[in-house]
Amino acid sequence: METIVTILTNAWSVLVFPGLLFAVVVGLLLAGIDRKILARMQKRKGPPILQPTYDFFKLMGKETIIPHAANRKAFLIAPVLGFVSLVVLMLFIPVFGYSPFSTNGDLIIVLYLLTIPAVALIVGGSASGSPYAGIGISREMVTMMAYELPLVVVLLTVAKKVGGESLVFSLGEIGDWQAANGLLISHWALIPAAIAMLLVIPAEVGTQPFDVAEAETEICEGTLVEYSGAPLAVFKLNTAIKMFVMTSLFTVLFFGGIDTGYIALNAVILVAICSVLTVVCMTLAHAICARLKIEHLFKFYWTVVTALAAISLILVWLGL
Amino acid sequence: MFKKIITKSMAKSPWIYHINTGSCNGCDIELVAVLTPRYDAERFGFKLAGTPRHADIVVVSGPITSQSKERLIRTLEQVPEPKCVVSIGSCPRSCNVFKGSYSVEGPLENYTHVDVSIAGCTPKPEAIIEGLAKAAEILAEKREAMYK
Amino acid sequence: MFSFLTLDFVKHFPVVAVMGLFLCAFLVEIFGSKNKIIRNTITLIAAFGAFALITALIKPVLIDGNILAYWMGNWEPVEGYAIGIGYEIDALNMFFALLVVTTILLAAIYSIKYMARDHHLGHYYTLFLMLSGSVLGLVLTGDIFNMFVMIEIMTFASVALTAFRNNKNGALEAGFKYLIVGSIGSSMTLAGIALLYAQCHTLNMAQISAALANGLTPTTVLAFALMFAGFGVKSYLVPFHAPAADAYMTAPTSISMVFSGMVNKAGVYGMIRLVYIIFRAMDLPALQLMLATFGTVTMFVGVTMALAQHDFKRLLAFHSISQIGYVITAIGLATVLGLEAGLFHAMNHTLFKGLLFLTAGAVLYATGTTDLDKLGGLAKKMPKTAICFLIGAFSISGLPPFNGFASKWMIYQATYQKAAETGNFAYAFVTIVALVVSVMTLASFIKVTQAVFFGQLPKHLEDTKEVPLSMRVPMWIMSALCILSGVFYGFVEKFLLAPAAKAVLSVTNYIDKMMGEGTAAAAGVVDYAANDVVLTLWNPVLWLVLFAIVLIAVCIVILTGDKTRGRVLAKTETDSEDGKYATFFGGEQSTHSHVAGSDLFWGFKHDFKGYFKFIQGMHSGVVNDYALYAVVGAALITVLMFVFVH
Repeated sequence: METIVTILTNAWSVLVFPGLLFAVVVGLLLAGIDRKILARMQKRKGPPILQPTYDFFKLMGKETIIPHAANRKAFLIAPVLGFVSLVVLMLFIPVFGYSPFSTNGDLIIVLYLLTIPAVALIVGGSASGSPYAGIGISREMVTMMAYELPLVVVLLTVAKKVGGESLVFSLGEIGDWQAANGLLISHWALIPAAIAMLLVIPAEVGTQPFDVAEAETEICEGTLVEYSGAPLAVFKLNTAIKMFVMTSLFTVLFFGGIDTGYIALNAVILVAICSVLTVVCMTLAHAICARLKIEHLFKFYWTVVTALAAISLILVWLGL
Repeated sequence: MFKKIITKSMAKSPWIYHINTGSCNGCDIELVAVLTPRYDAERFGFKLAGTPRHADIVVVSGPITSQSKERLIRTLEQVPEPKCVVSIGSCPRSCNVFKGSYSVEGPLENYTHVDVSIAGCTPKPEAIIEGLAKAAEILAEKREAMYK
Repeated sequence: MFSFLTLDFVKHFPVVAVMGLFLCAFLVEIFGSKNKIIRNTITLIAAFGAFALITALIKPVLIDGNILAYWMGNWEPVEGYAIGIGYEIDALNMFFALLVVTTILLAAIYSIKYMARDHHLGHYYTLFLMLSGSVLGLVLTGDIFNMFVMIEIMTFASVALTAFRNNKNGALEAGFKYLIVGSIGSSMTLAGIALLYAQCHTLNMAQISAALANGLTPTTVLAFALMFAGFGVKSYLVPFHAPAADAYMTAPTSISMVFSGMVNKAGVYGMIRLVYIIFRAMDLPALQLMLATFGTVTMFVGVTMALAQHDFKRLLAFHSISQIGYVITAIGLATVLGLEAGLFHAMNHTLFKGLLFLTAGAVLYATGTTDLDKLGGLAKKMPKTAICFLIGAFSISGLPPFNGFASKWMIYQATYQKAAETGNFAYAFVTIVALVVSVMTLASFIKVTQAVFFGQLPKHLEDTKEVPLSMRVPMWIMSALCILSGVFYGFVEKFLLAPAAKAVLSVTNYIDKMMGEGTAAAAGVVDYAANDVVLTLWNPVLWLVLFAIVLIAVCIVILTGDKTRGRVLAKTETDSEDGKYATFFGGEQSTHSHVAGSDLFWGFKHDFKGYFKFIQGMHSGVVNDYALYAVVGAALITVLMFVFVH
């Protein structure tokens, strides 16, 4: 009897909350909020909040064309691989204390699992055999190198701040620490790191000023150029889930430790914070900035953003 | 269930791919105007796609010139089913003032089935939005017809 | 069942394995220079024999924790002085010996078909077996001069094998560079050994270690510096690394695999023996920092050079250098976790780099070139090779759940922990560099993926065929090992790494077993402090299970859902090949327009153009420069040693 209950609760967490269904629904919701708020910022009425959902189902209903030059298997497997690893990644990010599969080293797992969807996108683009995709993957990879450095520094800063002499790489413990010692965002030494992390999010997700890899006006959607129908739908869904994953990672790192005692309420708070973060770091940047050139993007991340993160790291090492 | 959702979504999220086959640029500007904040076609889910593989509606402006004919046909083929072809302005209908030119091959209908044709030189943005909305409905019908 | 494998019996195995390889090297030349079958049989018997003999030692050495001491000709120490050559097999030797024999076996199998188109194969197999025997002897011996002899045999066999395809452009040149820099390394090692002998009057490592327990004199510090530089040459640390790239590129690929799988591991082994056992100097913080610095520089220079390469094998060569940087960094931390991480990464490097070299060899075999700008789209023609390549590439880039992820993670953790414990910010910087280098590694393998296996297939490669089975089998074995050691890293840690790390740290055991009980205590040698390893790693099995569940859920949704969703329409007669299924070229007819490897990562290279100009200028290809770097590097090490260690 007990085993059945365990299996059912685990299945519930993998498939419904905080796994598959939750990630998909919230991801699409965040993407919808992003488009709506962007439209409002430009004094437009904007599409309905459900627009990304409509887009997803429409693409599901379209024909899937696999070009001759493409490598069929890699072309079709890549989006699913990215999707599944994102959903699994979601399981490792605790929802304010509720983390069914937390381990001791989530922080580095998360860092590496985050690269898999990007790699899936690259492999898929590469497998499509189009020169536009070739340029797209090159830019995607450079973007990845660009944001990885500040992201690493931010994560190590948090690990040092929370762990002190003994290192803490567990997101659950980071949450507990914040519950005891106040949110990390309220420690002034970590504010530069938080800003750096906010700047990393749009590049990781690939939204407007940093969407060089999928620049639709210059390289015909880059990596996605040959994708149509269901695989494209999955890639679009991946982008939406990535928004949720990144913002909730930020929430755990800097706003962790808010625990009302009710999982449902916690989830609502998480989604609320994620929506605000989406608007702050993605929509705002999208509305204000034009797309960067790839070398400017790289320079920006390795100078400004890394410097911000490094300031925090040094402050934390000095014991502040 | 999925069928219904998909059919409904098909009408609500048409992505546009724009081909200029030799237009004077008037219609192209009007099409862009449709996407600006003033007319805001995005509230119906319209979006400009960067590649024909992503497109649902192909918008053609201008008469078909001998240079663009081959490219047009090829690009139209590369759009996944179900798809709609919409012509903007008088040129794709009748070649307009360019008729009889040595480089003009003829109206769009000679090369593909045109689902919606928006008349005018140039058509007003309101007319374009209406035409595109109609195309979106046709898209949903086509989808239903395709997978009966 | 294996009751006959008593300790007294199995202690003969190592020397038999080494001798067997050397003996077969001559037998191949005598009997097999004309006949293919005899040649292959002798080689395979030798390789398999060595493999079997060494794996038979797993139980007594690794699991039961014995140390095997073997005196050649039964010349045991007289009055505490070792006069004969001794083989001493503890868990560390065993660990490296296992890597070596695995590499030998797989390379031998791979060579059969891969080399079949070359001439003078008798010479090839002779040299191959000489190289194998020397590396195996190097990692098994307990005598420092014997070690030098093995280094010499290894160097000259390597030089000859590098230049084996001397009809190819650059082969002789690469051999020459290898010869010059390798000889500099060997001479320095010899000079160091001579100085040591003058000071300690013995050549046995255990006895030297006991004799040096009272602290280092200036002479021994100089000996240390020279030998450190000598092993640096063998493991291609950064100022000494330059000829490695040419050698790896021009040598037959089975040999490139051997180079990266065991020849530079021999250097790493020598380094560990040197700093931990012979000089027992790893509790000096300055030396730890020095090793970590050398390692960090090596990994960064290696990976940035790899990003700039246009040749598949040359790119892999620079990655070899870069990965050895990781190993040396981790070993330099002198913590249990660091040692285990370093050893694990050394093992993983043997596996995934061997695998990658084999796939490069398969590409070379099938297409005749490894130039990244001339290849493309091969995944269609060689799908199995492509899968193996992807496994290797993901492993080396440290993507979960492959083995590179586990070992790199241990390295990050070890370095950051070291930083937290010592309060030295330099180690935190090392962690950051290591993480960034990992992303760059991924980047350069994305480049290879795009340039070789995906993208468009050039016209001239259309009749490419998949490589024969005997070349695929080693690749599959390597791939399987990459995945298994990544998923079940717990077992690897428990049965391979922990004993090896323990063996490194318990110096007294090593000395006592060889020179008699109580020698170490009498000389005043103490063990390193061995704290317990807290592996806060992840649970790959859990991850895989979750991954599988989600994947199944997704598949169920796809299968039970509406059948009409997103289906691939059947091709109708109106769909022309040129139109619908052609690549989108903005409406133009699609032509061959492959984005080749050297065009990728433009933005990155643009921002670092100053650095790339400098570093590529440094790799001038002039042997004088390389010799200069080696000498300057050795001088630098000597100065550092005198400043910090003495």
